[in-house]
Amino acid sequence: MARDTTALSRRDVLKTSGAAGVAGLAGLAGCTGGGGGGDSEYPALGNYPVEGDEVVFGFNVPQSGSYSQEGADELRGYNLAKEHLNNGGGWVDSWEDLSGDGVLGKTVASVEGDTATDPDTARQSATRMINRDNAIMITGGSSSATAIAMQKLCQEEKVQFMACLTHSNDTTGPECVRYSFREMFNAYMTGQALAPVLAEEYGEDLNFYQLYADYSWGQTQQDSMNQFFTEVGGWSQIESVPTPLGTSDYSSYLSDVPRDETDVLVLNHYGLDAANSLPQAIEAGLDQDMEIVVPLYNRLMAEAAAGSIDGIFGTADWSWQLEDSASQSFTEAFRSEYDKVPSYAARLAYTQALQYAAACERAETFYPPEVIRALEGYEYDNAGLGAETMRACDHQAQRDVLVVRGLPSSDQTESRLLEVVNQTSRDQLGYGCNEGPAAECELGEYGDE
Amino acid sequence: MLLLQSEIASILLNGLQQGAIYALLGIGLTIILGTMEFLNLAHGALYLVGAYVGLIVFQETTLTNGFLYSIGITSLGFDGGFLAAIVLVPVIGFGIGLLMERFVAEPFYDRPETDQLLVTFGLALIVEETIKNVIGGNTFQSIAPSTLFGVNVSQPVSLPFVGLFPSWRLLIIVITFFVIGVTYLAIERTDFGLVVQAGTRDSEMVRLLGIKINRSYSLVFALGAALAAFAGLIGASIQTISPQIGTTQALVPAFLTIVVGGAGSVRGAIAGGMVLGLIISAMTQTYSQWAQIVLYLFVALMLVFRPQGLFGTAEVGE
Repeated sequence: MARDTTALSRRDVLKTSGAAGVAGLAGLAGCTGGGGGGDSEYPALGNYPVEGDEVVFGFNVPQSGSYSQEGADELRGYNLAKEHLNNGGGWVDSWEDLSGDGVLGKTVASVEGDTATDPDTARQSATRMINRDNAIMITGGSSSATAIAMQKLCQEEKVQFMACLTHSNDTTGPECVRYSFREMFNAYMTGQALAPVLAEEYGEDLNFYQLYADYSWGQTQQDSMNQFFTEVGGWSQIESVPTPLGTSDYSSYLSDVPRDETDVLVLNHYGLDAANSLPQAIEAGLDQDMEIVVPLYNRLMAEAAAGSIDGIFGTADWSWQLEDSASQSFTEAFRSEYDKVPSYAARLAYTQALQYAAACERAETFYPPEVIRALEGYEYDNAGLGAETMRACDHQAQRDVLVVRGLPSSDQTESRLLEVVNQTSRDQLGYGCNEGPAAECELGEYGDE
Repeated sequence: MLLLQSEIASILLNGLQQGAIYALLGIGLTIILGTMEFLNLAHGALYLVGAYVGLIVFQETTLTNGFLYSIGITSLGFDGGFLAAIVLVPVIGFGIGLLMERFVAEPFYDRPETDQLLVTFGLALIVEETIKNVIGGNTFQSIAPSTLFGVNVSQPVSLPFVGLFPSWRLLIIVITFFVIGVTYLAIERTDFGLVVQAGTRDSEMVRLLGIKINRSYSLVFALGAALAAFAGLIGASIQTISPQIGTTQALVPAFLTIVVGGAGSVRGAIAGGMVLGLIISAMTQTYSQWAQIVLYLFVALMLVFRPQGLFGTAEVGE
């Protein structure tokens, strides 16, 4: 902590003196401002102003650890966004704020970091991006723990964070910050979307048993499942058991599930954890005695557990199978670049990088408080999920949520493992600014007060 | 009462299954450490190799990244089934062990332990990164067979007290205990085993008696490697396969096993593996959040109060 504070002070001094120097030189040369964020209208803040012809984005994702597969697809999405921002293509051609000629006249460059799915490593990596590489914006996650660590740092450093793959209620709840925005839905919304579908499918007054990954996401996830399964379906929780993140053998946990009492087993696992726990639950024959639910699905995890997902419900951020023009144009662009269909992690990464760039264009500056204001309350319908609002009070996107179901092996193809059962409208989801996770959100300062 | 019996039976079965894999890893590591006094941090890499060789032999796997994918190879594997993997994986592990002993271990026998640690740790990283770059860093699904000898092993079986239990895991217990038994007999009841045991106690004396202990060293190293590779195959049949499993699922448990069982003792490795398996299983099923704490506390207490382990004759590190 002390080291961070020292680094911040040193960097602040350097940045301020650098900015003063640039301003002085600009004045001597009779320039009217640096343009593209180097404008003299605003004081130095964070990594503003942006020097030179390039603006640096920091892509900080798990390239190792439990969520490394998700991280790999996030990187693909980010790099595609960078390519399109600089040279046009994909959504850049249809988003009116974007030109395909960089952002505010500057070429988008990037640095990549490996969070190792670990909050401390994520924070260190993001610190390097901010201090050494002068990143104007950091984006990344999963996990939620890493996203929360990064957004906290970004608030301190006054550098924008665009949260990617983070589903914990905490990210836009008690841990929310002014400098972070989340496109992804959260565990609370998963509960709202999933509970009615499950109650209709499996009936009411059932008993459920939960296993959850023991960190921020898993904890809020199991809380929300408990709340909505109880409220909507009148279900009763038998027990909710934490499992360490990165567990590979769940046999002992699964042995403890009371088969006689349990109607539904809820596996609040993600990434590699789910790729192990789900097949092991099937192997133990639990699917013969009860229904299994994986509240948060993704394609990469479904691939690893492909033989075990038949009929299993969950939610997903987005699917390449959606037929709207934005989804299809992104899928085509991604497929032509990488020769495969994108996962929702890639869409989130792509969207968040573009959202930030578009906000800079609308604000006509990289000055963080103005970019933040350009995002707060912003309404859009060009990110593949219909109408969305980036809510100002907690920086949580108000959006639709997909309920999906695993396909039987016989119906699966390499790219199609899940079917979309329901696109739950945002009108049926969400919560007020003084309700649910938002009630605990205090965003903090813009930095120009 | 019935609930308690069921709980205990289930803890025992899960513990035996986990402990058997630890024992396989521990035996391999302990005979190399005991006989050659060589600390092999690449033991986890042999587990990793076993898992990937098993994957390649067992089925044809679709690749999505890595060097092979970049040059147009989109699938890899022979689709040979699990029996072929059971035969081939230890054989390939044995061959790799011979090569490792000749080119990596032998030049370092007379060097300080820190050199041995550095070279084998480096080798482990090279193996892990090579697999990641060549085959891809993604995760593959476990490779449990659906049938073996015509018997369906994908469906759980009903056991007294326990209830439904995965039949494949039951078979794993049988297979691993068979391999452990054969290894134990080979060490305890054969001339080769006697030479190995004698070498563990006093290798100089064995040389003076005219026995070519270097050849035995090669065989011991290769046997240890074959056991680690076999453990990798078994592990890959129940858990996902990725380049990181060598360190996370093999190396650390192998060292814990010989700390508990005692360095250089095959009996110790078997007992150590079982004790650790049962502790993890019991704690996970009862007070899951305490499982890791209790596990490492137990190992720490062993080091303090019984540093020679359950069956070891000398203190670890001596």
